[in-house]
Amino acid sequence: MAQSAPAGKRPVTRVAVAVLLLVAMGGTLWVPIYARSMPKLGDFPFFYWYQLILVPVVAILCWLCSVVLKAKPTSAARPRDGGGVRK
Amino acid sequence: MSHVNAVAFSIVVVSFLAVTMIGFAAARWRPAEDPMHLNEWGLGGRGFGTFVTWFLLGGDLYTAYTFIAVPALVYAVGAAGFYALSYTIVVWPIVFIFAPRLWSAARERGYVTPAEFARGRYGSQGLGLAVALTGILATMPYIALQLVGIESVLTVMGVGGSSANPIVKDLPLIVAFIVLASYTYLAGLRAPALIAFVKDALIYVTVIVAIIYIPARLGGWGHIFGAASAHLKTVNPATGKPFGSLIVAPSGEWAYATLALGSALALFMYPHAATGVFAARQRHVIRRNVAMLPAYSLALGLIALFGYMARATPAVNAGVKAGGGNSQLSVPLLFEHMFPSWFAGIGYSAIIIGALVPAAIMSIAAANLFTRSIYNEFFNPDATPAQETRVARLASLVMKVGALGFALELNKTFSINLQLLGGIWILQTFPAIVISLYTVWFHRFALIAGWASGMVYGTIQAYRTPGGGQAHFGASTAPVFGHITYIAIAALAVNLVVAVVLTPIFRAIRLPNGYDETRAAPHPADSADGASVTAGTGGA
Repeated sequence: MAQSAPAGKRPVTRVAVAVLLLVAMGGTLWVPIYARSMPKLGDFPFFYWYQLILVPVVAILCWLCSVVLKAKPTSAARPRDGGGVRK
Repeated sequence: MSHVNAVAFSIVVVSFLAVTMIGFAAARWRPAEDPMHLNEWGLGGRGFGTFVTWFLLGGDLYTAYTFIAVPALVYAVGAAGFYALSYTIVVWPIVFIFAPRLWSAARERGYVTPAEFARGRYGSQGLGLAVALTGILATMPYIALQLVGIESVLTVMGVGGSSANPIVKDLPLIVAFIVLASYTYLAGLRAPALIAFVKDALIYVTVIVAIIYIPARLGGWGHIFGAASAHLKTVNPATGKPFGSLIVAPSGEWAYATLALGSALALFMYPHAATGVFAARQRHVIRRNVAMLPAYSLALGLIALFGYMARATPAVNAGVKAGGGNSQLSVPLLFEHMFPSWFAGIGYSAIIIGALVPAAIMSIAAANLFTRSIYNEFFNPDATPAQETRVARLASLVMKVGALGFALELNKTFSINLQLLGGIWILQTFPAIVISLYTVWFHRFALIAGWASGMVYGTIQAYRTPGGGQAHFGASTAPVFGHITYIAIAALAVNLVVAVVLTPIFRAIRLPNGYDETRAAPHPADSADGASVTAGTGGA
């Protein structure tokens, strides 16, 4: 799904968005990372506080992606972008 | 549970009346030039900005059933129930990837439902029909389960439930549904969009108060986790194994991950989720919302912890036992025993209104599907927008009556089984919708064959899975190649393999493929970030 970032953006932007989203998904779906009770945070086993903290982390990652994609492409990237929009 | 809690009940009645007034007033909110158009009734004018969309999607996806069923699962089996949190986390990056594209495709061609996209992309009425039928079939039991959520609250409040007279017993539910059906009929998507504000305010207030107040009363989180852990370790006499665990065991990790992934992929295949997306004004509204919607996931994670709080409250355990071991009662019982009556009333209202909003959106989404992919496609291709709107309004009534019949006539287990099947079924439309946003490599008949194989495999596999005292439909996971896997994911794999194998075969024998109308379109829709659904895809 790496090429899933919308067309019309510089490759660097698309790679950055893909990496951020992959980190967000991997951190959630790779269960062995967090299927443990230690270290505890207060009385919360790791399994619980990791997932609860992951929520705002993923929100921030998605927000970063949305900001990066909203930014106007630089003028150097424009001609190439125009070609990528309609085929 | 034997007598009606008057204070809590009055608060529930007052909030229900308030919400009813809002529902009817919504018909005049953001007035449309031509209200008799499906874009207006079915998508609220396609003009919702970031703020409204956030409430609408949140109100739509986090249903009352979720608020009852997730903690109930955690109450019963512990950590394994927390997959719901993982699922609602991982869903956002996934939605971030494809939802803006789907929005653009729908805006360009004026689609109201994802089934129309599948139909237009492959020029295949059959594929559109398959997607539409799957959506309607999966949505009906989902609406019925919202009623199950309301019922469990009414039971704990002592209203209905216990009476021997069937009319009296079901009267509150029937009244609630008639009222809901009338304002949905009148105001369309505007009604749930406006009521979603009230629903979410109530939910957040309840969750924040509960998460601070209840642990303080119960002697802290240490005690709550301790009590839960002690229970989960004890051996279940029915199975000879422990009830569950506080941390997912290595053998359960694969099931946990596939459940989270499968549910996340399936969530936005449900027609009501697509309705929330298509109603957005701009493409960027969706992306910005994806960054903000995890607030609901956080609320869901905290609500899941209610399951442990309920386990640490002896009175709840006694109440669940008295209710025939129905763990769905655990959250309403927790509110009853931990909160003063008036605040329990707020909590109950949150759950009941939390059932009405998704039920309304689901019935609208299913009505849109019926109108565009069945009525328009097969009965009246030249329907005027006004005719479409009239048909959709009637279809939404039929959906609700059907769901009510489901909830009242059939036993609860049947609805729950069907909802489990619904999740498996709806994921089988993933290739026709999401993968097709990126490529039209597949042959249309191969996609239909793949969909059919996934549906058949998933249904049989679910039927053959025993568990929880049932011989069939006992669990949503089953062993696949030695790993306990979410059946929907296994069925999706079958679906994709069939579609991939048959595509070159169908092409080799020159079976006619359809015309992709989404490629020919100009792209007036929201060109701000220059993206187009048809850009850079392989040709067929």
